[in-house]
Amino acid sequence: MAKVVFTTGFARRYTSGVREFEVEAKNLRGVLKAMDDLYPGLGEHLEEETTVAINGEYHETGYFQPVPPGAEVFFIPRIEGG
Amino acid sequence: MNDSTIVTDSVKRFKWVGTRPIRPDGVPKVTGRALYGADLKLPGMLYGKILRSPHAHARIKSIDISAAEALPGVKSVMTANDLPQQKFDYIGPERVAVNFWHVTRNIMAREKALYEGHAIAAVAAISASIADHAASLIKVEYEVLPHVIDVDEAMADDAPLLFEDMITRGIDPAPTKPSNISKRLEFSMGDIEAGFQQADVVIEKAFKTAAVHQAYIEPHACVAKYEADGQCEIWSSSQGHFQMRALTAQIIGAKLGDLRVTPAEIGGGFGGKTVTYLEPIAATLSKKAGAPVRLQMTREDVFRASGPTSGASMWVKIGVKKDGTIVAADGIYKFQAGAFPGSPVMNGCLCAYAPYTIPNQRAVGFDVVSNRPKAAAYRAPGSPISAFAVESVLDMCAKAIGMDPLDLRHKNACRIGTPTLAGPKHAHAGYAETLEALMNHPAYKVKLGPNQGRGVASGYWFNGGGESSATLQVNADGTVLVATGSPDIGGSRASMAIMAAETLGIDYSQVRAIVADTGSIGYTHVTGGSRVTFATGTAVVNASKTVVQEMRKRAALIWGVEEDAVIWDDGVAKPANAGDNKTLSFREIAAKAAATGGPITASHGVNAGGQAPGFASQFCDVEVDPETGRVTILRFVAAQDVGRAIHPAYVEGQIQGGVVQGIGWALNEEYIYNAKGLLDNPGFLDYRCPVASDLPMIDAVMVEVPNPTHPYGAKGVGEVGICPPMAAIANAIAMATGKRMTELPMSPPRLLAALSD
Repeated sequence: MAKVVFTTGFARRYTSGVREFEVEAKNLRGVLKAMDDLYPGLGEHLEEETTVAINGEYHETGYFQPVPPGAEVFFIPRIEGG
Repeated sequence: MNDSTIVTDSVKRFKWVGTRPIRPDGVPKVTGRALYGADLKLPGMLYGKILRSPHAHARIKSIDISAAEALPGVKSVMTANDLPQQKFDYIGPERVAVNFWHVTRNIMAREKALYEGHAIAAVAAISASIADHAASLIKVEYEVLPHVIDVDEAMADDAPLLFEDMITRGIDPAPTKPSNISKRLEFSMGDIEAGFQQADVVIEKAFKTAAVHQAYIEPHACVAKYEADGQCEIWSSSQGHFQMRALTAQIIGAKLGDLRVTPAEIGGGFGGKTVTYLEPIAATLSKKAGAPVRLQMTREDVFRASGPTSGASMWVKIGVKKDGTIVAADGIYKFQAGAFPGSPVMNGCLCAYAPYTIPNQRAVGFDVVSNRPKAAAYRAPGSPISAFAVESVLDMCAKAIGMDPLDLRHKNACRIGTPTLAGPKHAHAGYAETLEALMNHPAYKVKLGPNQGRGVASGYWFNGGGESSATLQVNADGTVLVATGSPDIGGSRASMAIMAAETLGIDYSQVRAIVADTGSIGYTHVTGGSRVTFATGTAVVNASKTVVQEMRKRAALIWGVEEDAVIWDDGVAKPANAGDNKTLSFREIAAKAAATGGPITASHGVNAGGQAPGFASQFCDVEVDPETGRVTILRFVAAQDVGRAIHPAYVEGQIQGGVVQGIGWALNEEYIYNAKGLLDNPGFLDYRCPVASDLPMIDAVMVEVPNPTHPYGAKGVGEVGICPPMAAIANAIAMATGKRMTELPMSPPRLLAALSD
């Protein structure tokens, strides 16, 4: 199982304020699918609007990133630099 | 290795990584032969000119272009009506949400001119002088409106509104009254009130920073050639030609596949050339004229109409125990977005306390529009602004409890596993090591004289990863071409060549690195966010590994053995069997490419993650002249966690460059608006950037805590160095004078006024 966490603002917009979820997934595609099953359309929002941190390591939100057992998967608004 | 490099793992040693070979683009640049955006001239090319608003805020009642169109030599004239309408919709992630309804209005004004210099119309003519004359013939009827420049004034209830229907996002329930506040956001963790109750000392202070320009030497410039079949070629100076292609396609309503963008050499960007101003206009003028069009900004255009970073108004409160433990931090960060929403306030909030272990934190941010050019990214966008406030208050806390400011920071330094306000826990170390580098630096023990002070500050930046592409071609003589899609701003061609040479096991001189156009390489995100050495470097290394695999395969074919029977050792194919001494060099295998299967090439695309953040800690010594208010920087030591320096000279250059820009931000740089909302200092004479004679030698201390997610341990180095200088200098001034400066720039008049209080 992986723990999925959203920021307060994101949760307010898309998950009725619920910030934390437990999902079964081996990679990020599995996480996105699990969240989309819970909230139809959420997977697309996550894909397009967030950066993801898996156990603290930042990635662009995609499908291929592995999600180790017990991982914390944190979705935050994407960061852009200069 | 440079004396100022501190290595935390002494095991790995490389042949090319960590060396300082001459940059491949050096000779054309120092001999003046490098081609920048304004250097290209095509047969039949026209000269473009943009008419800009003389008012800070005005309703556009009418635009009459007939006289301009009638002028002999004029080939096309355009207004915003020549660009397609865009839907009002925020697309993409919150920090970088793009609303093309806004973007197209920034490219060219529609209903209103929202800042002095806002583009109103444009012409293309057979000469620059005719274009200038034609622009002057365009008649614009304005209704001048009240304007607002300052962020606090823009937030006032009675402020003139830039958008009469703008409702603040991020407030629940949504306000019913429009305002200039585009967005409110809040991040928190722990219990902020309970945290402050644990504190022995609580200090709070308000701060202001000025909007400052990236001040790249090269003004924006491009050439567009739009053909009758709808295909368009663009040559432009930018931090990302794929980004220019995407933005231009959206603004002019073209397909990505019909646009081909070639990157010119770039004379500095620092974030400011990740957005488009000219390309859609040049393409539209070219389409209407049926000829290529060149557009370029003057220096005045750059200041009036291209993005500075935000100015800000902030309030920060920090609570510490007597033993130095920080127990709570709170802050309100109000950032100018310029004329359209989209300041880096979210970054400012998320970076504010990121270097520290603080159990109770809150950051509230506001994105505020006013009658200034739209803010654009500038080195670690947002982070230096909040760092000025937070690091100033930390200095006051250290003084209040009688603790050395480095010790205070070190005691609270984040470690792997420390929670951040963004949410995720820190996954990488590096901050404490930068502090230790300063603690051990001999200059930190130098005694100070009268009117002198020493200031310390730190900074944090996320760094970037993301999509990059690289292609390697092995030539018959054993030389290798490395093509990437990353415009080279900070010496990346040399770094790419180093990583390729290291991976292939060949000499650096045998590798030529180039930047390929959008038609010749896979998608690559901008050169920004300190991402290129990490992300594009990963693509280059992976493509190089594919070439090595192919070289082994070709060697096996030459020897008539299985591929597994061949190993690759320092650029040479050898039999895996230790008793067999025959070899094939890289060059020998390359020469047999045709016989062994044809050209040896490899391409790799990545979406790189795990980039590791940047940490910087700096101290400086200053001397304040009590009669003039002038601040002289006596010495500056900048320690930065660089992961591993691929080309140390360019890493040092990035650190030193960030510090220099920070010194300018701290002491002199600001936009000076007059009562009409017009910019009074749109040039380098009056907008005072530091020059060499203002600066001491900046001692760049590279702390190498390798990043395990990069093949050679690299971390982004281009941005975080600009975060600490403003607070470091303010803290030094406070020590020298006893006066706490809370507003940037800390220019002589402002400092004199503080000293006379």
